[in-house]
Amino acid sequence: MPPELRRVHGWIGFGLLLAAGVAVPLLTNDSYHLDVATVTLRSLLLTMGLRYVMSTGQLNMAHVSFMGIAAYASALLVTRAGWSFWAALPVAPLLAALAAVPVGRVALRVSGPYYFLISFAFLEVLRLVFNNFFVDYLGGPSGLVEIPPPHPLPLTGGAVTFTSKLAQYWLMLVLFLASAAVLIRLEFSRFGLVNGAIRQGELLAETLGVNVARYKLGAFVLAAFFAGVAGVFFAHSQRVLHSSDFGLEPMVLLVAFTVMGGVGSVWGPVVGTLVLAVASELLRELHHYEILVYGLVLMVVMLFFPDGLVALPGRVARRFGRGRAKDGASTLGAGLAP
Amino acid sequence: MPIELLIQALLNGFGLAVVYVLVALGLTLIFSILEVINFAHGEFYMLGGFAAYYLFAVGGLNYFATLVLAVLLVGLAGVLAERLVFRHLRGKTLNAFIVSLGLLWVLQATAQLSFGVLDKSVPSAVSGIVRVGGVIVSRERLFVILTAVALISGLYLFLKFTRTGQAMRAMAQDADAAALQGVNIELVSALGFGIGCALAGAAGALLAPIFAVSPTMGALPVVKAFIIIIVGGMGSLPGAVLGGLLLGAVEGVGTLFMSSAAVNILGFLMVIAILLLRPRGLLGAA
Amino acid sequence: MLLELRDVGKRFGGLQAVAAVSMTVTAGTIHGLIGPNGAGKSTVFNLITGVLPLTSGEIRFKGERISTLRPSEICRRGIARTFQATTLFREFTVLDNVMAASHLGAERGFVRTLLATTAYRVREAAALARARDVLGAVRLLDAAGLRAGALPHRDQRALSLAMVLATGADLVILDEPLAGLTTQESEDAMTALRALRAGGKTILLVEHDMRAVMGLCDVITVLDHGVRIAEGMPRDIQANPAVIEAYLGAEDTRA
Repeated sequence: MPPELRRVHGWIGFGLLLAAGVAVPLLTNDSYHLDVATVTLRSLLLTMGLRYVMSTGQLNMAHVSFMGIAAYASALLVTRAGWSFWAALPVAPLLAALAAVPVGRVALRVSGPYYFLISFAFLEVLRLVFNNFFVDYLGGPSGLVEIPPPHPLPLTGGAVTFTSKLAQYWLMLVLFLASAAVLIRLEFSRFGLVNGAIRQGELLAETLGVNVARYKLGAFVLAAFFAGVAGVFFAHSQRVLHSSDFGLEPMVLLVAFTVMGGVGSVWGPVVGTLVLAVASELLRELHHYEILVYGLVLMVVMLFFPDGLVALPGRVARRFGRGRAKDGASTLGAGLAP
Repeated sequence: MPIELLIQALLNGFGLAVVYVLVALGLTLIFSILEVINFAHGEFYMLGGFAAYYLFAVGGLNYFATLVLAVLLVGLAGVLAERLVFRHLRGKTLNAFIVSLGLLWVLQATAQLSFGVLDKSVPSAVSGIVRVGGVIVSRERLFVILTAVALISGLYLFLKFTRTGQAMRAMAQDADAAALQGVNIELVSALGFGIGCALAGAAGALLAPIFAVSPTMGALPVVKAFIIIIVGGMGSLPGAVLGGLLLGAVEGVGTLFMSSAAVNILGFLMVIAILLLRPRGLLGAA
Repeated sequence: MLLELRDVGKRFGGLQAVAAVSMTVTAGTIHGLIGPNGAGKSTVFNLITGVLPLTSGEIRFKGERISTLRPSEICRRGIARTFQATTLFREFTVLDNVMAASHLGAERGFVRTLLATTAYRVREAAALARARDVLGAVRLLDAAGLRAGALPHRDQRALSLAMVLATGADLVILDEPLAGLTTQESEDAMTALRALRAGGKTILLVEHDMRAVMGLCDVITVLDHGVRIAEGMPRDIQANPAVIEAYLGAEDTRA
């Protein structure tokens, strides 16, 4: 896709997300549906962040750990240090990002499958810390409870409280849209281009002048920040934190959503999360069948669409168009890859 | 500290670790031949456990026959998995990982639907204890250790002296060169995957009488297996044995001094240390 | 003297791949590096571009010691290379491949990127223009929207060269640029390389096509078994008995 069209593509996509996000509360008032929508947005924020770091070829299994760090940090800042939620909201993700610097640096020293393994080790260590250490602060195996919701915001016409599902939905939507705006903007800029180049050929990128280590660390830290944003919201909407929220099961779900959608495009997580969220709702009653179907879907998609579902239009277009796309007139499908 | 206590702790640690080494060997064998990390490996361990349950506890079959059958059945399942699924993913580690994740869910869910969620116990096959000085070992544990060592030795001999075994080692070194030298890649891949899974199944069947059998029983051993092969070196079979011995020693002695939660962390700290100091593992290839 | 290798050595465990190699590349020349298979030519390229660390000796570029720099830093200073097996960003379009290369040195500016400031837009436009120029120079502009992986071999090689040029490097290192090309395509490539030299670039290449090497290079360095055995003008190299011996000797062992 020619660079001039790239930014437009990004804004159109963002516009669609904005429209869909705003449409939800207009279409439904039901508490349950709003909750599902909120959780979906939260998952989307997590998967878009994960996808950003994976776009540089780093399969970071510790992504939820940074969500956890910010979640516990925010909970403690509010309950122990008396901070307002609104002060903790920017600070806790920053703390997660700061923690990501040494972890990311260490992980960068190994490559390929070892990277996956060392980040997995970090995931487990942090989960064990959340579960068994600093019990006075983190709550131990029974979890950290009684976390207050976001403090009321004084606005014209009275204070806005955040105890209702509707208010929480709007808060999550704002957080999501702000984060998505940054991630989309980056994707359609030279950062996205260089990230994709790194994923396709690290050595080539390095010999062409790209300081691969610095880009990878940057992506790692940025993803951790956005995981932290999701974590802060999680802490004050769930109001209970437990180490299992930040362990292998949720992490593996995120990876599945992200890879199934496709790591090569910023819209991949959107496709993956929506598909699996819909499937999850449809299968809600049959818990064991749900897992079975998830598993089958995952296997089938990855075997037949190794680049993820988002690459499907591209492959179809290529099969019929035979790559005849010219500069400036590429089909939408062929141009979906960044 | 009395020396017997230390030896007892080490023995307990080793006794468990040697079985985890079987699982780890299977995992690393598969990785070395196909360059695939099979996240569903623990499910084959679980299948071995359930095979033991149905054949021995329910069916009343002789325990030795049970072990042999369990190993064969799980090995067959492994070959099927390779032929149907993993042969398309040779070398594509990320995709294979996601597919194996899907496989894990499929096997897990199927197991829970077929066998129910609850633990099932399998009676002991061997009873009695052996006492050496101040150290006590149950005959059952001793049997497990000896069988595991026998299997590990069998694997070593197979890889070193048989044509197929050597073909597997050749593929592990360089699959393209092996193909050029006439190695039947498809056959060796299928067999390798089958043997890897069979080892996990053997471990599951061996530990079935000692721990309960449940659909989720594969989760812990596979994590231990990962620790072992990272420490020992991915793709290195002697590395897996060494890694297992280290883990067994560390965890065995660790339980003397700290809570089990802290002991669990030790393994991961070993992983991080190894990945920092010598990422390829103690005996891994550069 | 643009590039200088002083007593460069590289050891892999027990194997001395390259030993005490000294070489100078003069600016504005086409410099050939030849030798039988296994002579260490690719290793030398990897050492110059920082892909492998030196075991001994040093390498200077424009007078500055580059032996300890990482490859991206070396590229920033003006050296870029192609690889023997054509390496491209296969999923990207042709244009994106070159754009990735023209974003050299643009690392700072995260906030500027986010806000799409004027400075950012100006730099983006400049990178795009440079990319288009370079594609025009290798005659791939029409293919700009095609997926790189779908290109025919000859065009993939041209794209590799375009990416190298897009970095703005002064010293262009080419690993077997004529491999797999037909006679006509080789002629065209050689003309293109001479044009690059005329434009002020310095070229260091490894090539097995002797006719091309002799016709193209101003200076040739010959390696055998990791050691430099000759250096000079094509005419002298062709007549050099040590060089002939090295190639004939290699042929004997092959027979």
